[in-house]
Amino acid sequence: MEKNERLDAIQFLDRFFDELREEARANPKFASRLVRAMGGQVVFEDTAKADIANPYLLAAEGDRSNFYAVFSSLKAAQIKKVLKDNNLATSIDMRGKSASDLVDMLYDRATLKVSERKSSYF
Amino acid sequence: MAATIAAVANLKGGVGKSTTTVMLADGLAYFYGLNVCVIDLDAQANSSQMLLTERGVQQAYEQGKGATHLLKQFIDREPPNAASLIAPNAVTLEELRIAEETDQRQGWISALPSHPHLRLQEMSLEEEWYSKAGTPTSLSTSLSEHFRAGFEPLRDYYDIILLDCPPHLSPLARAGLSLTDVFVMPTIADAVSTWGTKQFSEWVAANIASDLAKRHFVLITRFRNTSYARQVAQELKDIYLSDRWFGPTIPESTQVLNAMDRAAPDSYNTFRGKYGGVKGDVKRLAERFTDFLSQRVGHKWKKMRD
Repeated sequence: MEKNERLDAIQFLDRFFDELREEARANPKFASRLVRAMGGQVVFEDTAKADIANPYLLAAEGDRSNFYAVFSSLKAAQIKKVLKDNNLATSIDMRGKSASDLVDMLYDRATLKVSERKSSYF
Repeated sequence: MAATIAAVANLKGGVGKSTTTVMLADGLAYFYGLNVCVIDLDAQANSSQMLLTERGVQQAYEQGKGATHLLKQFIDREPPNAASLIAPNAVTLEELRIAEETDQRQGWISALPSHPHLRLQEMSLEEEWYSKAGTPTSLSTSLSEHFRAGFEPLRDYYDIILLDCPPHLSPLARAGLSLTDVFVMPTIADAVSTWGTKQFSEWVAANIASDLAKRHFVLITRFRNTSYARQVAQELKDIYLSDRWFGPTIPESTQVLNAMDRAAPDSYNTFRGKYGGVKGDVKRLAERFTDFLSQRVGHKWKKMRD
């Protein structure tokens, strides 16, 4: 933008939202955070699930079928990445497990951690 | 040889006492095959959490295991029996788990875990004790006798007992410190922590161990390699604590934080997988600490792994 360029309020907002839209398109994690911040439900595309989906947040929502709907379509390698990135399993723990076993492990461990860490007073 | 009791202690919070406790336990068991018992006297229960997970800590408490039950034995005037209060499965390393499975009598890690109720229980005991004209010192002395008798059987089973101490001097904390053979003091290379090392050293030297300098192992933790931190570390080593043993400097690292977050009570990791980029630091910590102990007890430990 030119230093002395004069824009009205709508033009400023357009530019601002254009930038936001571009970033959200290029960065699914950011888009997911934006939607959550506005109280919306994030719909996960298959290609981005492994990077975006937070098993703790999904476990905290308490909807088991939604949790499985998000993670069950992932390949074993992708589920392993989610487990490892979220400190929910080590390579030793995952050795020899099928994709279905891994999703069960993901659900059980994420749910357990959330239940142990969440205050019972709130 | 009876176990050496080492208190991991500092009056300042956030210096890495629990992390140091777990790193020492892992390093000593993994590299030297020492049998280690971690006794968590801090109601924050962080080392217990790191070893057993949150669920494991809660399960141990519900099954009548841990430091709260040792204190309950005191409150109920029962004879202390710490051996019956030990929680199993404090081993998080795959190599040690396999060795345990094959019944190798080396490299165990056990825990007498803490629980957040410990402090409430102690406060309730204090109120009752003081209402009968008792004093903090008399309570600490009585607790010390109770712990001494309770820990006695453990000294035959283990090579080292690590006491993870709280960052205060309540009667229970003082009782633990009074039984200690050596003091491991983690600290951070900054001004407030440096002053904290003086407070702790002076209190221990005046009240518990006048020969503290010979029994004191200092560890600079959470080190961020800045010129300021290097200067403070140098001052600690060369001026303020120049007559103490120093362990390796442990860097501030997300790997350390991750290593302390056990995934589940049935989760295990290899030593390399758990400690990654800081595995060399854990090894040096174990080496330096066994050198320090060797000077004290005149026994040289052999390495099982390198």
